[in-house]
Amino acid sequence: MNATVTPGRTARSLSVVESPAENAVDVLVCGSPDRGDDGAAIAAARLLRGLPAGARVRIVGQLDIDDLLAVPPGGAVVIVDAATGVAPGRIVELPLRGFLGAGSETVPRSSHALAMPEVIGVADMVRGHPLAGRIVVVGGRQYGLGRPMSRRVAASIPALAEAVRRAVVALSGREATRDTAAGDPDGPDPATSPATGRIP
Amino acid sequence: MHDTDTLATPTGDLDLDVAGLTRVEGEGSLRLRVRDGVVEEAHLEIFEAPRYFERLVVGRAPDEVIDIVARICGICPVAYQMTAVHAFEAALGVEIDPRTRALRRLLYCGEWIESHALHVYLLHLPDFLGYHSAIELAADHRDEVAAGLALKKAGNEIVGLVGGRAIHPVSVRVGGFSRVFRRSEIAALREPLEHALAIAEATVHLVAGLEPPAFSREARLVALRHPSEYPMNEGRIVSTDGLDIAATAWPTEFRERQVAWSHALQSRGHDERPYLLGPSSRITLAGDRLHPLAATALARTGLADEIRTNPYRSIVARAVELVDAVAEALDIVDRYEPPTDPATAWRAGPGLAAWATEAPRGLIFHSYDLDERGLVEHARIVPPTSQNQAAIEADLAAFAPRVLDRPRAEATHRIEQLIRSYDPCISCATHFLELEVEDVR
Repeated sequence: MNATVTPGRTARSLSVVESPAENAVDVLVCGSPDRGDDGAAIAAARLLRGLPAGARVRIVGQLDIDDLLAVPPGGAVVIVDAATGVAPGRIVELPLRGFLGAGSETVPRSSHALAMPEVIGVADMVRGHPLAGRIVVVGGRQYGLGRPMSRRVAASIPALAEAVRRAVVALSGREATRDTAAGDPDGPDPATSPATGRIP
Repeated sequence: MHDTDTLATPTGDLDLDVAGLTRVEGEGSLRLRVRDGVVEEAHLEIFEAPRYFERLVVGRAPDEVIDIVARICGICPVAYQMTAVHAFEAALGVEIDPRTRALRRLLYCGEWIESHALHVYLLHLPDFLGYHSAIELAADHRDEVAAGLALKKAGNEIVGLVGGRAIHPVSVRVGGFSRVFRRSEIAALREPLEHALAIAEATVHLVAGLEPPAFSREARLVALRHPSEYPMNEGRIVSTDGLDIAATAWPTEFRERQVAWSHALQSRGHDERPYLLGPSSRITLAGDRLHPLAATALARTGLADEIRTNPYRSIVARAVELVDAVAEALDIVDRYEPPTDPATAWRAGPGLAAWATEAPRGLIFHSYDLDERGLVEHARIVPPTSQNQAAIEADLAAFAPRVLDRPRAEATHRIEQLIRSYDPCISCATHFLELEVEDVR
């Protein structure tokens, strides 16, 4: 982790010291394998192959602001999760900023303490710049403790893994985004398969 | 209906529905019905589907139950684990190593730190500073939010180490833990905790200076009280009106009942009185057991009495408890000696297991009937939020008339802020409103 939090005597004197690490891509895998479709992202992570150097996969379970603050400056992130509000088995990919925006087709119904858009937004504010990245979600149907993964979601796992891999490759090959860089911090849009929707 | 219209009609009538409390741990809404300026209904409606955890643990062995109940909450899983493990150990006569007991307390401190830091900085502080979300707050107060996150992270690190992972920990076992922690592992917590202590002390100063809405009432406050410690893993149940019973005697004083507007059972005293749990109750009933650094921080605020009577001051109580939890965690880290064995050996058997501990948002009670094989036959899990529901509704009923003549946006904001003051676990909520007001003019 390249971000070092150095608080002084008071909260106001806290500073964040960062060192650049370009083209690193963190894959943050959310969910829980014992809650049916909520385990989709973890199942897909197990299938990830051929990721470029600089990519690292972390199973975070529940996305926390710290997970995003731990992404090195100049790095990018791919967040993988299951979601309601999307047809079961359908894979949707969108930029972090699109996720934060209004009118998105994907309306997160989060049981997290802070909903994912707020986690991302606060992390951006604390970092001082928008984090480059994509969110890749698969629509789920059943999330109860001890429930099996639904058939459609289980069948979509290889496609979900492929969508994640493509997102990582695209972000890894992007022009490095500096803390103060102009332009699109989300990088180029990765290609999509027929099973993959994309929300601008 | 515009934001500048007042909440109620000129005759003082109002039907107010706050539908779909979003960004909450659970799903709920608020309904207020006012006639002639008098609150007839103030319902915190919890419509999240029942989760049947009490049924899920039936037929399970104690160590399985400890892992299962941790899944009830992503914010306070340690509270569920601690309550269950102490209940089983008491029922089965398992004596734990004092060093293990200290580790359990360290784990609980971690949960308090992460839960309180989250609530103070990201859920409740925006209300006081006039922001609609934590994102807006972070945009203008980056350093403060970063400090709050550093504080929360110190708690996460404790739970991640001692609990085995930061969310839904897995290391707690009947008799101890699944492994012995090396001295060097525990010592590594010292540096982040030292930083956290400075932040926690600054947090008390920060939140004590916030201006709360004027509101005062004498609620029945209930908390655990321990002879020598600030209540966390054990103690007797005490109240501001003189109750003093063993924690296992919770059912003799309180009962749960079904109400039409909530899927969660609602607890009251057998005399039907609501009661309030949480940081304000603990500070009021056990403030003399605070760590000296926390006691000093509380004294400097001069707000101990207001914490008792004004629910909006709970943010101060929570901040004081941050100092307490961080300071105690540091003490435990400094004194840590690894136990000889990860866990005390124990034998399964029948019995009635019951215990109460203090979750970040208040007293939590568990009881389990164990059959001849030592498997759970019947379980009862009473979380703090279901116990606080009736008190929250009583406070809403008392507070609402004060804002009926205020502009809709302001009044709604104050009502939301009041709900957030209790840090309900249906609502580790930030800003949760789609407001629908039905005007009965």
